[in-house]
Amino acid sequence: MTGTSSDREQLRPGLWATVNERYPGSMITKPDLVPLARLEKSLAQTRLTFVSTAGVQPKGTLPFDVVHPVGDYSFRRVPSTAEPADLEIHQLKYPTDGANRDLNVIFPIERLRELAAEGVVGGLTPDFFSFIGYNMDPERLERTLAEEIAAAVAADGAEAALLAPA
Amino acid sequence: MSLQYLKDAAASGDTEALIRYVRLHLGDGDEAKGRKEIDKAWIEALKPLLDLPPADREFIHETLTMKDLATLAHLFFDLHFYLVKQSGEWIHDGNL
Repeated sequence: MTGTSSDREQLRPGLWATVNERYPGSMITKPDLVPLARLEKSLAQTRLTFVSTAGVQPKGTLPFDVVHPVGDYSFRRVPSTAEPADLEIHQLKYPTDGANRDLNVIFPIERLRELAAEGVVGGLTPDFFSFIGYNMDPERLERTLAEEIAAAVAADGAEAALLAPA
Repeated sequence: MSLQYLKDAAASGDTEALIRYVRLHLGDGDEAKGRKEIDKAWIEALKPLLDLPPADREFIHETLTMKDLATLAHLFFDLHFYLVKQSGEWIHDGNL
């Protein structure tokens, strides 16, 4: 896994204050910081996976539970070889209009394949990972969904993960 | 609002906090829209019944009798979104 700027710096330090201002009663407090791991080899030698909150899933799989008031804590595997036409979005909480015209704007599966073919990244894991970002129980999110995805990502042989919130 | 905030509100009977959350959820973060969405769902639930068409009351009775409260409550949310979509005025259209 890779770091970005400083390992000691929150990427969006004002985020929680903004959320709590809009939703009184507080959303999540997250004072601790887990440093991002740094790459141990070049990106061109690194097998990449993709983790997204976009609610993208293969057609025919059980749709994400977008109506539950407390959220859906499941994830879907999306084959990195899948075509956009074989995928669909189940998520109500972000603008999906553009993504429904070109899935790559939110779930860049074809762009990542191009980067792998060009050798910019060393390869892709067999599956990418997708869930919905509307989850009201952060502890459950960490202890179940995040842990399950982390285990699946590791089992897939990922050496770096591209994380993309929707 | 955190889940604990909602659990505390339920325990203390703070119904205003609870319904505000429901409105925010149904209105995609806009409480006024959420209030309207609730009204829309009830209007759409009323309209198909005005001509007294036959309904599968056995199914309804069996569902209410056999299914647990969590499933029924979940179904209630599903029905809300289903009925709102039937109205043709769908705010969850990817243009927040």
